[in-house]
Amino acid sequence: MSLLDSLRHRLRVLLRPGSYDRELEDEIRFHLSLDAMQHAQAARHELPGDEAALAARRHFGNVTIHKEDVRRAAGLGFVEMARQDLRFALRTFRRNPGFTAVAILTLALGIGANTAIFSAVNALLLRPLPYRDPARLLKVTLTVPAHGGNPARHGMVWSYPKFTVFRDAQTVFQDLTLSTDYQATLTGSGADAERATGEVTDARYFPLLGVHPALGRNFTASEAGQPGGPRAVILSHALWSRRFNANPAVLGTALDIDGDPYTIVGVAPAGFAGLSGHADYWVPILSQSRDLYTEAWNHSFTLIARLRAGVSPAQATAQVRQLGTRVDAAYPERDAALHWGAEAQQLDATRLAPVIRKSLLVLLGAVGLVLLIACANVANLFLVRAGGRRREIAVRLAVGAGRTRLVRQLLTESILLALAGGVASIALAWWGTHALAALGPSSLSRMQRFSGLGAVTFASIRLDVTTLVFAGLLALVTGVVFGLVPALQSTHPSLTDALKEGDAIPRGRGIHAFTARNLLAVAEIALAIVLLAGSGLMLRSLGKLLRVQPGFDASHLLTLRLNAPNGFGRDSLPQFYQQILDRIAAIPGVTGVALGDCPPLNGGCNGTDLVRRDRPAPAPDGMPLVGVHWMTPAWPAVLRVPLERGRLFDSGDRVGARKSVLVSETAAHTIWPGEDPIGRPVSVGQGGFWDDTAYVVGVVGDVRFFTLDSLPSADVYLPYAQSPSGRMMLFVRTPGSPLTLAAPVRRALHELAPELPVYDVATMESRVADATAYTRFSTVLLALFAAVALALATIGVYGVISYVVAQRTREIGIRVALGATRRDVVALVVGQGVSIAAAGAVLGIAAALVATRVLRSLLYDVAPSDPWTFSGVVGVLALAVIFASWIPAHRAASIHPTEALK
Amino acid sequence: MPRPPSDPPRSDLLKGTLDMLILQTLTLQSLHGYAIAQHIARLSDGVFTVEQGSLYPALERLQSKGWVTSRWGQSPTGRRARYYTITAAGRRQLGQEVSNFERVLQAIQHIMKPA
Repeated sequence: MSLLDSLRHRLRVLLRPGSYDRELEDEIRFHLSLDAMQHAQAARHELPGDEAALAARRHFGNVTIHKEDVRRAAGLGFVEMARQDLRFALRTFRRNPGFTAVAILTLALGIGANTAIFSAVNALLLRPLPYRDPARLLKVTLTVPAHGGNPARHGMVWSYPKFTVFRDAQTVFQDLTLSTDYQATLTGSGADAERATGEVTDARYFPLLGVHPALGRNFTASEAGQPGGPRAVILSHALWSRRFNANPAVLGTALDIDGDPYTIVGVAPAGFAGLSGHADYWVPILSQSRDLYTEAWNHSFTLIARLRAGVSPAQATAQVRQLGTRVDAAYPERDAALHWGAEAQQLDATRLAPVIRKSLLVLLGAVGLVLLIACANVANLFLVRAGGRRREIAVRLAVGAGRTRLVRQLLTESILLALAGGVASIALAWWGTHALAALGPSSLSRMQRFSGLGAVTFASIRLDVTTLVFAGLLALVTGVVFGLVPALQSTHPSLTDALKEGDAIPRGRGIHAFTARNLLAVAEIALAIVLLAGSGLMLRSLGKLLRVQPGFDASHLLTLRLNAPNGFGRDSLPQFYQQILDRIAAIPGVTGVALGDCPPLNGGCNGTDLVRRDRPAPAPDGMPLVGVHWMTPAWPAVLRVPLERGRLFDSGDRVGARKSVLVSETAAHTIWPGEDPIGRPVSVGQGGFWDDTAYVVGVVGDVRFFTLDSLPSADVYLPYAQSPSGRMMLFVRTPGSPLTLAAPVRRALHELAPELPVYDVATMESRVADATAYTRFSTVLLALFAAVALALATIGVYGVISYVVAQRTREIGIRVALGATRRDVVALVVGQGVSIAAAGAVLGIAAALVATRVLRSLLYDVAPSDPWTFSGVVGVLALAVIFASWIPAHRAASIHPTEALK
Repeated sequence: MPRPPSDPPRSDLLKGTLDMLILQTLTLQSLHGYAIAQHIARLSDGVFTVEQGSLYPALERLQSKGWVTSRWGQSPTGRRARYYTITAAGRRQLGQEVSNFERVLQAIQHIMKPA
């Protein structure tokens, strides 16, 4: 059977290549011995044995090539060659452990950093949203055009009445759902009271997203489709596990939410935390208080819609725009000239705040540059080593090794190195992804500016199959990239040059090799400069940001949030809170305590219109927008916000008394330019200050309520006693460590009101730190990348200069013999480094001026072409290059002419 | 080594015919590589010399296709040698190649000696 014979033969060849080789050698030796006998006879006289053997050899031709041919015919070509290459590469690595370790570490650094950043990009930008067919999901929002001094606003949420107008008229979506997150206190069912975030939504929410309850069911029409139906709640898997020990028997039992009993009807699948990304339960909108779904101007809800089959996103967007007009007509703005609209965009496009998207891409670009530098460095190492292997390679070419074969051999080495680097990089990537995931939503979600789609969080960053495949591919590509140039370069040396003894001064190819090395070093410097410039700008920006005076003293402050328990009327609230203030003030170590509604650096607080009453009423769109805050009299003192003019609130500012407000400096300047605001009458659009006239009693310093890098807004403060609200924040000042007060404060509050939920306990300093957490993180990361780049580039320059010194030993010896001083030699060598650095610097600065433009939106108070940063970068670089050339320069200076010229 | 001028002019084997000649040679008996080369050279009066560089790759190729098998045996001089044997499939293949070759040969003859 030919098939069987053939198969048997091939298997034997493949499985036992060693014995196959031995047999082939035996066979050829046998052949040669017979041929030698033949030659001896043919010559008709006795040839000496070895001459006959030589003749046979000549007759046979190149044994090695023939053996290769047979192997190739045997199909061993690929497998066997790869095996040989691998063995050879491993042997080479073992012989040069230092070289191997440096190369692998360099690559591990480059690949690992890339993998870590890619895992973040993958989780935050690429991974599909965890819903059914997410490409068909759109987010529909309301818009307000620019009016008066106010810019146009996009991406605004819906009120329920406006939503019903839209829902009933639209024809492009097969399904729509509304939801919003809110916080409530969970009690009952035998567990402690806890503060949790939930979402209010409708019955379409789960089916639309394609999420099926792990247990129980979705809301029914009677629960979610009409007001006043039975109250039902669906739990998150996390809440169910935490609070109910994952007991399936909870279905049908009651959970108290803000004091109202809800029947548990279902449990969401594990890992699902709603569109907000941190929901622990879901309740129907129509089971909530009436004002949530009957007030047309109560804008609270995110609207997500799924496209009807056959409808394109463009068609849907067009209809949404038309329907915006209809919604506006149904609920017109007080100002008849102002028309709201609606727009839609892919849900996927809203997943990440632009700032984070931008900085992620910048980091990805930066880390890519680091990898390029790492590649250049390893390529340089390879070139230097190839210099040392010139003769070996020339000999192999001379005895008949094909060039392709040699290139493949060298590429095997580089790819093997890269793969080893890839494996080593996983440790770094693992650490990196954990560090990124730890950034977590807790520190970011507070920052409105950073809020994208809540469901896309840093916590989802991890090493998964995708990122590992990415790392593998990257290692492979890296291996080819840094291996190919040296491999091609070193396999066509001029044979005669390379084979000649005493390769004193490089000529011919040698010079080209030297040029390639120089170019690589120049490229490394240029790339390092781009990174240094970028990170220098970010560092300067961060430095300025951290020096920003937020307008208050964050040290020694404890903050926590309180929610008045149900059953407190507005009128009894001031008294209740006064009890709290008195009680806390009595705790030893407390030097000041106050209440405010919104902490500084919160990413924004309430905003409303303000109107001067001492002038004719302006047009509605001419009213200035101000931030509005509630506080108890001690608040400015406790936060150390200075009083500039007038007085602070006191116990006289209470219900029934004349209404008072404080304004910030910015408000004073913008609303009363050139005038004294004290005593001026105003109306404020919130807190019951619209219909009455209030009077400005004082001006306090500016406080940054939004972010550190945004200028303070015009702010107005209302006295808490004249406008009580249930949700407040407690600020406690102490000379000591604020966290030591946390327990006594909690205990005092618990004794006063056991049902009072206390949450979000943090020092003010940690809130300030949170406000800059992401900026600090990305800046430090970028600086780290730049440092690695600088180190690699320095090593690269060092390598090139050392090599040049080694190559020019004789020349330098001659110079010294002819009278060159030590100083001349050092200048000669350092000059070499400086010329490389200068070329790299010119290229790098040109590239950096272009590249740093992308940073513009990430920089605070620093121009992308900041001359200070750029001169600093050049200075750092000059130091690095001089440092890198110094050691080889001194080695060169100590060359003894007699030694060098021997 | 300089070749004696009396050697008859040699011709390179027509491409593709080497396999056929090897198979034909092996129809008589199992032979080792050197003997195959000698046999072909002798029968062609030295017109064909089998370059060793192509002999062993060809033998390898024939084995891969299952037309020839090999085993190690004693040579007449008492040394171990690899003997090649044609298989049934090899004989079928030889038949096909011979008939192909004859068709080609006829065609060439027609062209060279027009009737």
